[in-house]
Amino acid sequence: MADPNELTPNELTMDELRERIRVAGITVAEHRLAMVRRLLADALAPVRALDSRTIRTVEPAVKFVPEAKGDSRE
Amino acid sequence: MSDDIAYATIRELGTRYRKREISPVEVTRTLLERIEKLDPILHAFVTLTADRALEDARDAEVALRRGDESPLLGIPIAHKDIYLTRGIRTTGGSALFADWVPDEDSTVVRRWREAGTVMLGKLITHEFAFGIQFPGHKFPAARNPWNLDHIPGGSSSGSGAALAAGLVTGATGSDTGGSIRGPAAFCGLAGIKPTYGRASRAGVMTLSWTLDHTGPLARTVEDCAYLLQAMAGHDPADPASSTMPVGDYLAPLRRGVAGLRIGVPRNYFFEGVDTEIQRAFEEALETLRKLGAEVRDVRIPSMQRAHSFLLILVSEAFAYHERDLRERPELYGEVARERLLAGALVTASEYTQAQRIRAEICAETAEVMRDVDVLATPTTLKPATSFTVAHDPELGFPRSNMAPFNLTGLPTLALPCGFSSSGLPLSLQLAGRPFEEGTVLRVGHAYEKATAWHTRRPPV
Repeated sequence: MADPNELTPNELTMDELRERIRVAGITVAEHRLAMVRRLLADALAPVRALDSRTIRTVEPAVKFVPEAKGDSRE
Repeated sequence: MSDDIAYATIRELGTRYRKREISPVEVTRTLLERIEKLDPILHAFVTLTADRALEDARDAEVALRRGDESPLLGIPIAHKDIYLTRGIRTTGGSALFADWVPDEDSTVVRRWREAGTVMLGKLITHEFAFGIQFPGHKFPAARNPWNLDHIPGGSSSGSGAALAAGLVTGATGSDTGGSIRGPAAFCGLAGIKPTYGRASRAGVMTLSWTLDHTGPLARTVEDCAYLLQAMAGHDPADPASSTMPVGDYLAPLRRGVAGLRIGVPRNYFFEGVDTEIQRAFEEALETLRKLGAEVRDVRIPSMQRAHSFLLILVSEAFAYHERDLRERPELYGEVARERLLAGALVTASEYTQAQRIRAEICAETAEVMRDVDVLATPTTLKPATSFTVAHDPELGFPRSNMAPFNLTGLPTLALPCGFSSSGLPLSLQLAGRPFEEGTVLRVGHAYEKATAWHTRRPPV
């Protein structure tokens, strides 16, 4: 079985997982660490493989639509 | 005990009520007896409301005598136990709310009650619609009527089990990453996740604000259309609720699929698909072609990144549950707790990047849907998993064919398209443009009329 700490830079090592847990101030049961690491690693993979300079923004955060009365130009 | 009552459709029940062949009280008593016999094996119900059901049924009889034409009058239903019900406990499948009795109905519960349904009770859900129950959990997990050693799907697990076993005619579900369509797929049912904002989430426990949808499950597409019709519509109590007028979901069912364009996104949705599911899916496409639909392959490249949806889900879910997770973690089931805690480990930047990926997927999907009316994919990559596999502590959160349509918010239907060699249901998924539930239901209904998969019954 592969050592989870000998993964490619894009993957989540057990050390990184433990550091994230420490920073978040939470407790994850030791026997559930593998499950959490797998869940998080799978979800993070597309983000880590991404060049964040090339994809679209999430704007608009808000969008104002005039009330539909009178001569609304929306 | 009468299977023809247990498995009757909404239309059949309504017709027989109005011909006075049977009454809502008779149907309700029949189903209550069936529940008493089968539910100790299936664990679909967490709370049975027999008195309330008989009261609803008597009210329905009065309304029928008055000539009320509501199609849901006297139709026996039950609600997933994350829908708040006034005066009836709502557990969320969790010890945290084991004895909680809300003061208000959720909007959908109220709308179905006003439509004349008969409420038989509350159906078990995965804990907070997220964490599958392991042995020893406060509430036992529902079992799949097609094979009791297999899961019925989740998180609307009780809804799937109850419908497949003929215990109810319709049920509510909620869908954040496939929780309506998964149980529909694993239990041989139809289930529709409507457009984001089409059906109210007010009074339904939150899992993830930007991904949560409410919708119905039933045994036929037509029944889904009836149930969605009574559920859909603007609700000021849900900030995401749309003011878009609600269409007629029944009328399009008569139109067939001739001339409709069906796109098959060949990337992402077929990676790791079970060979029996692939075969059933290709045969379903052939059926739709013979019915007159034009089927073509399409590509949505950004779908390859769709699994990042899980970053959004766990981040938002942790935000919702943070206080209880920090103050009373022992009241959560172990798996639900650890999965929810994973949300605390996502950075703000990662959450934002996941939303940017989502925007990319939405834009590319919208572009593809300029040239096709509906997208078709297998609903799941595999048939229902055994409990042994589902309880493997190493099991992650499997890549999903359903989650992309929670990201895009598009209306999406699951319906039966075959059976595996081991006798488990297989499922076809159809997604449409925003607010075009009618088109999705139309394609599903045409397929259903041309096949007999939905008429098979499980061996319970």
